[in-house]
Amino acid sequence: MIANRVRNFLLPAVGILLVGLIWWGASVGLSKDLPSPWKTWQESKLYVLQPFEKRGEMDQGIGLLAVYSLVRVAKGFLLGIAIATPLGFLLGSSQTMRRMLDPVIQILRPISPLAWLPLGLVMFRQSEPAALFTIAICSMWPTVINTMAGVRSIPQDYWNVAKVLRLSPFKTFTRVLAPAALPHIFTGYRLSLGIAWLVIVASEMLTGTPGVGGFLWQEYNSLVYAHILLCIVTIGLVGFVLDRLMGAVEARLRSV
Amino acid sequence: MALIEIQNISKAFGARHVLENVNLTVEEGELVSVVGYTGSGKSTLISIVAGLLRADSGQILIRGAKSNGFPARASIVFQNYSLLPWFSAMENVRLAVDANFPSWSREKQREQAARYLEMVGLGNAFDKRPSQLSGGMRQRVAIARSFAIEPEILFMDEPFGALDALTRANLQQELAKLCSAAGRQVTMIMITNSVQEAILLSDRIVPMTRGPRATLGPAISVELERPRLSSQLLRDEKAVRIQSRVVEFLTGFTHGAKPPREGKAPANRMARVRSAEAEI
Repeated sequence: MIANRVRNFLLPAVGILLVGLIWWGASVGLSKDLPSPWKTWQESKLYVLQPFEKRGEMDQGIGLLAVYSLVRVAKGFLLGIAIATPLGFLLGSSQTMRRMLDPVIQILRPISPLAWLPLGLVMFRQSEPAALFTIAICSMWPTVINTMAGVRSIPQDYWNVAKVLRLSPFKTFTRVLAPAALPHIFTGYRLSLGIAWLVIVASEMLTGTPGVGGFLWQEYNSLVYAHILLCIVTIGLVGFVLDRLMGAVEARLRSV
Repeated sequence: MALIEIQNISKAFGARHVLENVNLTVEEGELVSVVGYTGSGKSTLISIVAGLLRADSGQILIRGAKSNGFPARASIVFQNYSLLPWFSAMENVRLAVDANFPSWSREKQREQAARYLEMVGLGNAFDKRPSQLSGGMRQRVAIARSFAIEPEILFMDEPFGALDALTRANLQQELAKLCSAAGRQVTMIMITNSVQEAILLSDRIVPMTRGPRATLGPAISVELERPRLSSQLLRDEKAVRIQSRVVEFLTGFTHGAKPPREGKAPANRMARVRSAEAEI
């Protein structure tokens, strides 16, 4: 019981403390411009303790900024998986398609969001659609690849069952293929969401829209370095929570 | 006209010739068992007859017409149950009923599924998922699913192969009951490695030679009164004679097909005889 508690809470706390110490050490010895943890807290207090306070376009509580970013990520992510899931099914069930599109995917996959964003701005001439485009196109690949793998790994047995029960193509898809591939698909969704969240900072920085990333960039330009750290910590925490939530859903699906 | 005609079926996987010139005719209402060694190609044969696998040559005729794909009004019981793990027992059976009787109301489909689940003794397991059921119960669900679509042809690919001996014996008896209770003429081809199981259930037994290039031996008809009880069959003179004929064919053919070479062959032969006995 106590050993469990040590493992689950004390050890992670020690880890965080250690990083805090390194941070403090760096702020003292390495760079005078890096705010110490204490200074960061002093200067960020207002934003953390009144997380949903709106004082101006960019001057808002960190909670509100995180919500803007989350909404943007959600839109881009949903757009991404709405394209990626059917594409993954198509690639998983047709070897011709796989041969045709696999090289394309492998080439598009490693392209950085910083490269896509200007292209989005050129195409849409507005920052919001450009940001969504970037999030969608960067985050869709894990879903494509995992859905494809999921469909390909469906045992021959299930295809046979669909055949001998004489299921219609629609029922074959909804009753057999989709449930069989679902755990894989969700692994794809979790990885995609992680990337979508990773991309948000870059896209908000370049477009200057309100959100955690936009705030980070603005505060850098205003020389309020403590707020950069506030944003970094917030991005990390939100990303961690998102991943845990998706992980919980995934675990439920796998247990079926 | 024979209901099912298997004509000159051959099948190879790459360089491995599994089946060669397999011929079999099954009359309407007959239950024919194909008995043979594990790995001799029995499952390959039934997959071809059921249209799940394409033969390299030869053809399958159902009521005289060439069969492509899974025959109409047919059903199959797989060795590994092949239930969908995300559905309950009821949903698994109802899915089959729905696909085969789409015009029925949901209520009627449910009743049909319930009736067959009760018939195999699963009246209180409607809502259980396959993972919550034992191997024997899973196979009962699979059997209920096959019968619930009221098939005219039923293929069984080692239906009890994955079960322990006791469960196996129980289910064999129940299948025998179910067949006579169905009241219709169900034509069945069963694949099995148990000679006793074949004697208990079938009208004719066709031994399959050991692969590669496996083919079917002469049919042995099982003229025994029904219902048959496995306990009686152990002592029944006729049953014992049938059993030894099947076993003799299976082991004898092995000797004949591969004349023993000098030296190590005898030990090999003994091993084969033993493995044949182990299946029985």
